[in-house]
Amino acid sequence: MMSLFRRVYNIAKREIFSIVTKPVYLLSMVIAPLFCYIFFTTLMWSGLPSEMPVGIVDLDNTGTTRNVIRNLDAFQHTKIVNEYPDFTHARKAIQKNEIYAFFYIPRGTTEKAISGRQPKISFYTNYSYLVAGSLLYKDLRTMSELASGAIARASLRAKGANDQQAINFIQPVVINTHALGNPWLNYSIYLSNSIIPGVLMLMIFLTTIYSVGSELKFGTQKEWLDKSGGSIIVALTGKLLPQTFIFFLMSLLYNIYLYGYLHFPCNSGIMTMILIGLLLVLASQGFGLFLIGLVPSLRLALSIGCLWGVVSFSISGMSFPVMAMDAPLQTLAYLFPLRSYFLLYVNFALHGYSIIYAWLPLIIMIAFISLPIFILKRLKNTMINYVYIP
Amino acid sequence: MKRKNLYNIITQGISDMMIIWMNELKNVVKDQGILIFFILVPLAYPILYTYIYNNEVIREVPVAAVDDNRSSMSREFLKYVDANPDTRIVTYPANMEEAKEAMMEGKIYGIIYIPDDFTKTLVKGEQANVSIFCDLSGMLYYKALITSATNSSLMMNKEIKISKMGNSTDRQDEIATAPIAYDDIALFNPQAGFASFLIPAVLILIIQQTLLLGIGLAAGTARENNRFRDLVPINRHYHGTLRIVLGKSLLYFMLYVIMSTYILVFVPKMFSLPQIGNPFTIAQFILPYLLSAIFFAMTCSVLIRHRETCMIVYIFTSVPLLFISGISWPGTAIPEFWKIVSYIFPSTFGINGFVQINNMGATIEDVSTGYKALWIQAGIYFITTFFVYRYQIIMSRRHVWRRYKEISRKKRIK
Repeated sequence: MMSLFRRVYNIAKREIFSIVTKPVYLLSMVIAPLFCYIFFTTLMWSGLPSEMPVGIVDLDNTGTTRNVIRNLDAFQHTKIVNEYPDFTHARKAIQKNEIYAFFYIPRGTTEKAISGRQPKISFYTNYSYLVAGSLLYKDLRTMSELASGAIARASLRAKGANDQQAINFIQPVVINTHALGNPWLNYSIYLSNSIIPGVLMLMIFLTTIYSVGSELKFGTQKEWLDKSGGSIIVALTGKLLPQTFIFFLMSLLYNIYLYGYLHFPCNSGIMTMILIGLLLVLASQGFGLFLIGLVPSLRLALSIGCLWGVVSFSISGMSFPVMAMDAPLQTLAYLFPLRSYFLLYVNFALHGYSIIYAWLPLIIMIAFISLPIFILKRLKNTMINYVYIP
Repeated sequence: MKRKNLYNIITQGISDMMIIWMNELKNVVKDQGILIFFILVPLAYPILYTYIYNNEVIREVPVAAVDDNRSSMSREFLKYVDANPDTRIVTYPANMEEAKEAMMEGKIYGIIYIPDDFTKTLVKGEQANVSIFCDLSGMLYYKALITSATNSSLMMNKEIKISKMGNSTDRQDEIATAPIAYDDIALFNPQAGFASFLIPAVLILIIQQTLLLGIGLAAGTARENNRFRDLVPINRHYHGTLRIVLGKSLLYFMLYVIMSTYILVFVPKMFSLPQIGNPFTIAQFILPYLLSAIFFAMTCSVLIRHRETCMIVYIFTSVPLLFISGISWPGTAIPEFWKIVSYIFPSTFGINGFVQINNMGATIEDVSTGYKALWIQAGIYFITTFFVYRYQIIMSRRHVWRRYKEISRKKRIK
């Protein structure tokens, strides 16, 4: 028993030596994740984009229309940057990417409105930039409703109604919105919470594959296995344990950063998320080990790891819901550990629901952790018989 | 005499360049790893990616309706919500507790709550509140629910107003309920679809990232096969820096003209993504993009010591590069510091210009800033490639020279 620990310790020491001496490990284990932690949170620091450029085509140019424009400018997401003489100029400005949307008021709008001939105003939103387009749509539509409401209110007042009566008449049914978990509609909360663990997961895939695969490539696998007394379990435990430790520290770091420092919603308490972070580290290591065991060629396994990791961001459903994907993809999504992590995060941190609603992603995470069992024998055979083909 | 020399140098240079071109072609074709990044990924990845987002929008988001009023008016409101393409009422729980339970189980993504005094308030001529609760694990759920609820309330409001006014004609009703009508027009992506918005950017990014990976891999292989771990072999054809840089880049360029045509023309066509750009404008714009991406990748490739490390070094940059380009996250909301950082990468200008031309039908003049920036990048990265290769040649000569001296010293000792 003692000698078993001794051997694991020796292998771990050997691994720590190579982590310290090879700069690629520093990059993959510390610099790359750390960079992404800082990058995404500072990029989306504002949470919700505000003051996005909008244009105006005001062919009517009366006190009323100018008032509408002034009100629109005061909206949160909108900043009116320019006025254009006609539709074509405004469209051109959109094509030049100077504005994301514009508001069009045709000639005679005020006159028609006052005389009850229902003029028509319009707004154009560029959905090639979906986030900008959607947020501006909200502002522009509200403004259009308000413009209409202002006229209606004026005519109701003329008939003798007071302000409250006018509002009651104009808008009988009101919608109250409650955004659960993220009432500020903060995009950084919405995206950073999944992208950051996603990057860490990707780097764990690659590091695990690289550290095992490069033994095969540089022909040191026999020495590694000998040092472990011929036991593949000792060899892998000793090798991966130091990495597990460093990656767990990295996951601890993002948990503290997101929930402790940035105060992103964490309804389950930070301890739960730290444990889920540990699950993420182990599941990613398990998956990486499974890949290199299955495809014992460093280059192929790394390529698969890269593609798997990058597709994770899309298929996890954090931006485009899995529900809206084609049926086969909805099932395939579970083959990506980030999908389960995302579901766990939503269940625990975002909503603070009980563990009984998260049994499926938990089981899948545990399945990923135990995945290497299937390739232990194959990997050992490879290590004994492998010849590197460049 | 001098003219003949120059003539000789040029013809020699061109023939060396062609030999280097040929050697590089052999390297690429022989190498499974490079083929993955130059051929397989550009072929398969756009299809996979587009397939994921291909449904464009989310429809029929399942929601629960808690109707405490149970009147004909509340049912009418819910009928509108259900009929809206964005949402579908899948369950009518008796109370909020049951509705929350369904939400925790992941059966629904939103709750619509109608209070018991809904009809009474409306009949009194006051404002009635309808509450919606939305799961914020996806912004699209929220968008679907709020659009559906707002539209339903507007329709309902219109009916209530008409019933109260007692006008005689339909036209009168319409004018009285909406003194000013409005039209909203979605430009260039009429259904506000996800694939139409994200995929054009991803396509451009795939070109740069696969070039980085493929060229990095080739450089790593060249070093591993070299006795002194040098990037440039000692060989009579590999004399001039210019011919090495041109020979290699010409091969990458020719290969990527074919791949780009597939990625940027056929993939959007296959999935009916927006494609209103003039093909010649796209070609004209992609030319400097390819050149800057190739020289950028060649400059970066000197950092790659072993062939496999390039994947670790490059792959994680893909997601930040997509965000920094200003497509996912609006360009106007990107902090100044990151904006400046983004100017380093060809993808920033490439993505924006391509989206403008391809999705929005912009002309070269409309994208002139990005177009010029790409040419400037192509120039700068060509120069940096030239110098890093020049340095590599000097290094490899020095290695060989040192080795030669060592050998001759040993001989002398013997």
